[in-house]
Amino acid sequence: MRKFLAVVKHEYKKVVLKWSFLIGTILLPVLAIVVSIVPALIFSIKGEPTRIAIADSNGQVAVRLRQNLSSEKIAERVRRQARESISNISVSQDQQLQRSAQMIESAYQFVDLDTTEKSGEELRQFLLSKVTANEIDGYLIVPDNVNDPKAVFEFRSRKGGDILSGGTFKDALNSAVRSVRLAGENISEARLDQISQLVNFDAKGLDELGAEKDTDGIMIASMVIGLMIYITLAIYGQAIMGAVVEEKETRIAEILFSSARPFELMLGKLVGVGLAGLTQLGIWVASIAVVLAVAASQTELAPFLESVPKITPLMIVYFMLFFLVGFFTYAAIFALVGSMVTSLQEGGQFAFPPIMIMLAGFYFSIAVIRDPNSSLSFWVSIAPFLAPITMPVRILAETPPVWQILLALIVNAAAIAGLVWITARVYRVGMLMYGKRATIPEVWKWIRQA
Amino acid sequence: MILMRENAPTDATIKVSNVTKRFGEFTAVEDLSFDVQAGRVFGFLGPNGAGKTTTIRMIVGITFPDEGSITLGGERISHKLQSRIGYLPEERGLYKKMRVLDQLRYFAALKDVPSKEIDKRIDFWLDRMQLSEWKKKKTTDLSKGMQQKIQFIATVLHDPDVLILDEPFSGLDPINVEFLMDVIDEYKSADKTIIFSTHLMSTAEKLCNDIILINKSRKVLGGSLREVKESYGQNLIAFRGSNAENILSDKALVERVVSHSDEQELHLAEGVDSQDLLKRMVAANVLVSKFEKTEPSLNDIFIERVTNA
Repeated sequence: MRKFLAVVKHEYKKVVLKWSFLIGTILLPVLAIVVSIVPALIFSIKGEPTRIAIADSNGQVAVRLRQNLSSEKIAERVRRQARESISNISVSQDQQLQRSAQMIESAYQFVDLDTTEKSGEELRQFLLSKVTANEIDGYLIVPDNVNDPKAVFEFRSRKGGDILSGGTFKDALNSAVRSVRLAGENISEARLDQISQLVNFDAKGLDELGAEKDTDGIMIASMVIGLMIYITLAIYGQAIMGAVVEEKETRIAEILFSSARPFELMLGKLVGVGLAGLTQLGIWVASIAVVLAVAASQTELAPFLESVPKITPLMIVYFMLFFLVGFFTYAAIFALVGSMVTSLQEGGQFAFPPIMIMLAGFYFSIAVIRDPNSSLSFWVSIAPFLAPITMPVRILAETPPVWQILLALIVNAAAIAGLVWITARVYRVGMLMYGKRATIPEVWKWIRQA
Repeated sequence: MILMRENAPTDATIKVSNVTKRFGEFTAVEDLSFDVQAGRVFGFLGPNGAGKTTTIRMIVGITFPDEGSITLGGERISHKLQSRIGYLPEERGLYKKMRVLDQLRYFAALKDVPSKEIDKRIDFWLDRMQLSEWKKKKTTDLSKGMQQKIQFIATVLHDPDVLILDEPFSGLDPINVEFLMDVIDEYKSADKTIIFSTHLMSTAEKLCNDIILINKSRKVLGGSLREVKESYGQNLIAFRGSNAENILSDKALVERVVSHSDEQELHLAEGVDSQDLLKRMVAANVLVSKFEKTEPSLNDIFIERVTNA
């Protein structure tokens, strides 16, 4: 037992104390934070307000446009849009909405210029001279024939690239012109809104108990989980293979085998590297939890959080369990490959089949996301080799009955026992074979030998 | 750190009895028997592919015999006994990117050295090997000779009762060879068992008390070095002189002449006494400057037994 623990400690330290581990562990969460938070931060930086002059001969449009760009109006319009797309706005979202509406309002500053005397080219030249004199940043020329559908509204701005507020400005102008036109036809705007309102289409997924659930974000989160497990398994599997090949290549195996049972050595290696993987995963899960907690306290990120599916501590336990199951399955295979080959390059070729099986697991998980309760989803989330990737995805998409999770664990544990048994037999012979790669019939013979 | 046993010494005798090991169709070792006494250096000799490494691996408990038995101190070799054996394989390596200290700690832990003892022993041996300042360096920073010495330390850290050294001197400079020989001597006087495998007959001759020669999976000869040599040493003359061509070409007197750089080795024909040969030479006016009855070198015995097999 002491030797076994020595092997575990040795293998664990070998992985964890490497730079690549440190970088991988820290970099991934940092990258995730950067990708998710930085754009929001950048957009929240207030720019200089855009000074705009409106040349409107009869003044109807200008008044309404300025009203539409007030924060109250903007917020109200967003609320209406949200109602139409049937998504509920939470209190925190509403607060955020008001804040960004105020931001948009403050992004415009209207400059009053006397343009009543001028028209056509003269007006344009006048406004342009104000722009070049840096008195205004842009101007809008409202045509006389507002009611004509072909009428052109000329907007020129030195901040033409500001996509974020440009859309808002256009919307506000549209709505202002529409309201002027409606008034001309004696139709009240409120009445029109009522008539043209979209139907109230209430669509939600149901789980097996008939309870409603929010499907928002589940798909993305499931994909992320599936991909994360796939990548981690591939990385740690290859790490095991590298470690095995190193000991074979450098002939350290001979010294190790003269000190401890091959089985102890092999299992110690799997457990040690597995714990290192669990450490990394633990750090990731913990940092995601911290990031979410920090984000929850910050209302700017509330809408982002709304779409994160609810992950319970039990789910995390399941994920860790299935990571371990997957790790031991593939680590045993990679250790077997490592003890068969003579170099890492040669191992790379043999690593292809297990990688393909992993990839199949990842693809099956897409089928699982689409329909978590189909019989295909049932079988692939129980099957050895596939379950480590598909079951966590299925648990997230829609948690199956506990007996299915337990069945998957039992089936896979049995598969691991078989794999470890086979690998141990190949390992103790293969590690001492130098010079040539073992053939499949040879390996078969080692497995059958007592 | 070689611990002199104060109590009754643990029996470190190795008995190999009728051991056979097959790999599929191929028989690597066949019906091999020999004893290795404690307090003596045992030379394990044989050409490449004779079955040396296979036999050593069975003694160390890496593989196990198909037939026959190997015992250490009367107990059959098992993984439990591995911590009493220190094995320096011919093909040896270290973890490339690991610090010397960490590797030695790992090997010591695998050999059941008590945790408190580990660092103390590592310091002792590194100091003795004059490698203390390399303790925190990685293998890749070390020269080949230094790596050899680190490997040797890994072999003796757990103060084994049995030391098995496979080609321990390859790659070492003469100073370190001397040094290693001193350590082997210490082990010998501490009544431990030393098995020493090599191709270099001159080294074996200098170091070994007993030898076994195996060839093609079988034992060819064995016993104490003295006995082995004496059984071969009846008819050899070291000769230097001139005008001896006629005598030396007489097959009735000299069966074979082996020329060395400045002397010749004469193998007497059967029934010819060295005195007779000398008389004949004097009578034939040969100018004799050296005429000495010698023992065959281990090298000669090796070559003769292996090529005539």
